[in-house]
Amino acid sequence: MTTQEPDRFDRVDWDEISRSRWFDPSINGVGVLATAIPLLLVALYDWLVLDERTPTLDPVGLGWDVGTVDYLFLFTLSLFAFYIVLPLFQHPRRTRYYWREFRRNRPAVVSLGWLGVVFVGGILGPFLVSAPEQSILTGYQPPVFLSIDESYVSTCVGDIVGGRCQGTWRHPLGTTAGGKDVFAGIVHGMTISMQIGFITTTIVASIGIAVGTVSAYAGGWVDEVLMRFVDVVLSFPTLLMFLLVLYIYGAGLGMFILVFSAFAWGGTARYVRSKSLSIAEAEFIKANRISGASTYRVVRRHVAPNAASSIITQLTLLIPGFLLAEAQLAFLGLGDSAIPSWGQLISAGRSDLSFAPWIVLAPGMVLFLTILAFNFLGDALLDALNPEAEAENA
Amino acid sequence: MGFGRYVVARTLWAAAVSLIITTITFLLLAAAPNPQVQEAATQAALQGGDPAEAAERARELRGLDEPLYVRYADFVRGVYTLDWGWAESRSQPVTEALAQGLYYTAQYSVPWTILTVLIGPLVGVYSAANMYSWKDHAATGFAFFGYAIPNFFFGIILLLIFGVWLEAIPIVYNTDVPVFSVRNAVQLAVPVFVLVTGSIGAIMRVSRNESAEFQNADFMKTAKAKGVSPLRAYAYHVMRPTLVPLSTTLVGQLLALFLGSSLLVEVVFGIPGIGRVTYDALIAQDTNLVLGSTLAFTFVAVVGNLLEDIVFTVLDPRISYDDR
Repeated sequence: MTTQEPDRFDRVDWDEISRSRWFDPSINGVGVLATAIPLLLVALYDWLVLDERTPTLDPVGLGWDVGTVDYLFLFTLSLFAFYIVLPLFQHPRRTRYYWREFRRNRPAVVSLGWLGVVFVGGILGPFLVSAPEQSILTGYQPPVFLSIDESYVSTCVGDIVGGRCQGTWRHPLGTTAGGKDVFAGIVHGMTISMQIGFITTTIVASIGIAVGTVSAYAGGWVDEVLMRFVDVVLSFPTLLMFLLVLYIYGAGLGMFILVFSAFAWGGTARYVRSKSLSIAEAEFIKANRISGASTYRVVRRHVAPNAASSIITQLTLLIPGFLLAEAQLAFLGLGDSAIPSWGQLISAGRSDLSFAPWIVLAPGMVLFLTILAFNFLGDALLDALNPEAEAENA
Repeated sequence: MGFGRYVVARTLWAAAVSLIITTITFLLLAAAPNPQVQEAATQAALQGGDPAEAAERARELRGLDEPLYVRYADFVRGVYTLDWGWAESRSQPVTEALAQGLYYTAQYSVPWTILTVLIGPLVGVYSAANMYSWKDHAATGFAFFGYAIPNFFFGIILLLIFGVWLEAIPIVYNTDVPVFSVRNAVQLAVPVFVLVTGSIGAIMRVSRNESAEFQNADFMKTAKAKGVSPLRAYAYHVMRPTLVPLSTTLVGQLLALFLGSSLLVEVVFGIPGIGRVTYDALIAQDTNLVLGSTLAFTFVAVVGNLLEDIVFTVLDPRISYDDR
């Protein structure tokens, strides 16, 4: 056997490792572009060629009408896939280390599993489970293994035993007053929740990181102006502002996402600023500057990646707030009543609470568990991604 | 910069923020079609009149035909002199409607705030003192539960259990009960409980994590070595430095909760407070009242942030005024 010669430092081809030309996208960037361009083309086709009534995918024989929110959602999904998931595969050793750290926190592992269910359910669910449909005759069907007094239901899908209608597997979580299947409603609500979570996070992250890093690096009056602007953004009562916009213009899911992300980035910007200020003090940044790196390069290649872990944690803890806000508005009857979100289901069942509690309880528990899971996950990510925080605990 | 100058500068800034928010609100309103003008046009069209002329008359009546800057000056003067107009849906001035709402909102907000501010840091520090024991885990579990459960959902569930099944509390809030009476305390107990569980979680977490840092600090070792009683050690040497970072989050979080939750909790429990007034005004399309309550909430938030920053500098003398 020949002995393999170890790599030597002076023989490394640096051009292979560091990419120095101004436009030389990584595989991640190529992936995002490869999905974004066809998406943009379809959107343009939808906007310019097809008339308003024709579903977007009609020419291929599918009846799915893609809306603005859907385009944004697909785009953010590709960002997530190429900039969060793919790097985990590109650096298996680091991923294994994170996983070892993360695994020690049991509730967080369970939370990740639950969020995985919501994620997959939100993406594949609408293709497998048909949208809940109105059918007055089969209203108030109880969930499987439960029963309801015969007098409340007009037609019982299951058997009637001793004057009580029994639940069936056709409606595993029962139906609402209008006969909408609660389980189907929850699955479709997962899509809405995932859309809200992904799109708002992407918008908040891009504005927050841009403002935060620019503020930290420019310093001086730019920093002062940007941070005072952040103060104004933070003083806005977002919910009330949204109510005002809703009252004046009317609003759907897209407007909800826009207004809430437009007022939510303040905290992220402040956080990113303080984080990048502390990283900028580090020795390796000075070394970078001395070797002649441009400000853009320092920020993009060194400050942003080093701040990324804490930013991700902070964003994880923002998502539940958005989900809660949507549910609250839907509950007040001020949300987009055309979309089957969890909040809509909760508000639909509110008046029937005393005899048909499942209509409120099932989506309410799902909402509660999802918010809880995001909180546990954020807590665990804080420990796993940030070794300093752990050293403090020990 | 001295303390006095800092307070003045900070107060001026708060005034500027309130003016910016007022301006944005005005622009939002000015850019939108006025529902009352549209209504007048529809009325005229239905009665065979000229809708354009009726719309013009309605605009003139409300001063909408004047140039934008005149209307803006009027609007700002009205806002700052508390001349907030007439609430058509309630047939009373907007300020009076809001004051009536505030009377009921205060009845549950005051006990809620006091309980949260008292219990939150106490439990947090206690759980840091017993870190990783079952008490700490129980407190952490409770904090996460309260933080994660949607207030309105929790309220509905408790109303179902105690109101419908056990019949221990009235389902609809009764306004005839005197403020300081047992019956009022009973009917407000559940809303206050819901709000406290919702707001206490975050405060418990922050105070637990912050005070954990001071547990093993040198001054704590010195205090213990001198034989200071644990109670005194925690009260004087852990609680005080913990309150400083806590105060930065406390006011902001309480305000956010106050704005969001008061609306929902009042709708769920049927309390005719300020949130309920806003909600009804929205439903009844009463522009003046919607605007008034939005501005009222906004000013509360601005003043709250101002107080928070000032209290922060008083609590922690190490902070220099120039850095902030």
